[in-house]
Amino acid sequence: MTEIAIKITVNGRPQEAVVEPRLTLADFLRENCRLTGTHLACEHGVCGACTVLVDGAAVRSCLMFAVQAADREVTTVEGIAAPDGTLSPVQAAFRDCHGLQCGFCTPGFIMSLTALLRDNPDPTDEDIRVGLSGNLCRCTGYQGILAAARQAAPGPAEA
Amino acid sequence: MTGVATMRRPRSLSEAIDTLAASPGADLLAGGTDLVPALRTGARPVREMISLRRIVELRARGAAGDWLTIGACATYADLAGWSLAPGLAATARSVGSPQIRNTGTVGGALGTASPRGDLLTFLVAADAGVVVTGPVGQRQLGIGRFLADRHGPDELVTAVKLARPCGPQTYLKIGARQTASIPVASCALVVDRVRRLVRCAIGGVASRPVRALAAEDHVAETADWSTGALPPDAAHRFGELVAEAVTTAPDVAGDDVYAPAAYRSHAAGVLARRAAARCLAGARGADARRP
Repeated sequence: MTEIAIKITVNGRPQEAVVEPRLTLADFLRENCRLTGTHLACEHGVCGACTVLVDGAAVRSCLMFAVQAADREVTTVEGIAAPDGTLSPVQAAFRDCHGLQCGFCTPGFIMSLTALLRDNPDPTDEDIRVGLSGNLCRCTGYQGILAAARQAAPGPAEA
Repeated sequence: MTGVATMRRPRSLSEAIDTLAASPGADLLAGGTDLVPALRTGARPVREMISLRRIVELRARGAAGDWLTIGACATYADLAGWSLAPGLAATARSVGSPQIRNTGTVGGALGTASPRGDLLTFLVAADAGVVVTGPVGQRQLGIGRFLADRHGPDELVTAVKLARPCGPQTYLKIGARQTASIPVASCALVVDRVRRLVRCAIGGVASRPVRALAAEDHVAETADWSTGALPPDAAHRFGELVAEAVTTAPDVAGDDVYAPAAYRSHAAGVLARRAAARCLAGARGADARRP
């Protein structure tokens, strides 16, 4: 087993480690960085619970090896709220609109929706459904999540 | 995850080719959207991996003369808004979820060559060229030849070449979670109004995408090429001929967990008719459900 030295910026903080090539980014975040907000459910790219942002793009951290994220910036659900703990607009909307019940899938939804609204601040319901199609929720029936997305959307950019 | 003893991460194409030559049998890793699940289930015993993610030159895409060239490590997200290649862009938008589109690559789709692969089906309809590069240089294969012969163990797919579109193109599919699922059946239709022909490929129905040649000829002969319109009865016949092509394709898929074979051929015909309605004006009346 040839281990590889990597440095990944996680939520703005450089994290250095020597890892096995087979270590996934999800396991790196949870085990090495102790950031257990990133959840693992299906572990083969179906459920979206492990979604994180790599250089701003939403990806499934269970399908990526930690060494592939070397020298890149990773944002997890722990990096979404303000430093003083104030919830982000997406997080606050999930609380306000009952966008979660058991909460297991929620970190993945928060990350997917954060990326979606950054790229499209005024999405239609169809845009939201398509944008969140890679995340599964077994509790809510999605209506609360849709409502949260509508509340969190900044709306059309001011001219 | 078992296996995977080493991973090499070349920074240039020439370094990747040297690395591949030094470790024959190593698996190539791009987005990982196919390889990592296969590793998890043990479907592919992998000892050595070569990660292509750091090779910037493989992500380039461009247009020169009549050709579009797409680097093998371009992601679906890179292609989803490409105005020069509307059919390719529509196909890219239909793949997986945003998370998958942000990592999955063109070269990965060809390396995996899943018979249900969305991109593969479009590339067959587009009659794409596949550029492979090895120690002795690069060579270009037609997509059909590539799927039959693949590439040598010391070569890797470095680019895909497409003719600049000369007419409408579309890609339609049926699957349990629409984009997020692999399709039960899919249809790519490419119209070439200059050469007055269409090419149609059906995915998900056999061990590789099926070209519906008789159906293509039928459209070429019955379309009004001055307007690009197809009479409704000709569009209907096009759908029937596509369904027939699926039923008679070599190594057609039988009934499986996704769908019965009869459903697949029926769905292929319906998708083809819809695709014709999108791409060939006048064919719209043939499909009342999608005016």
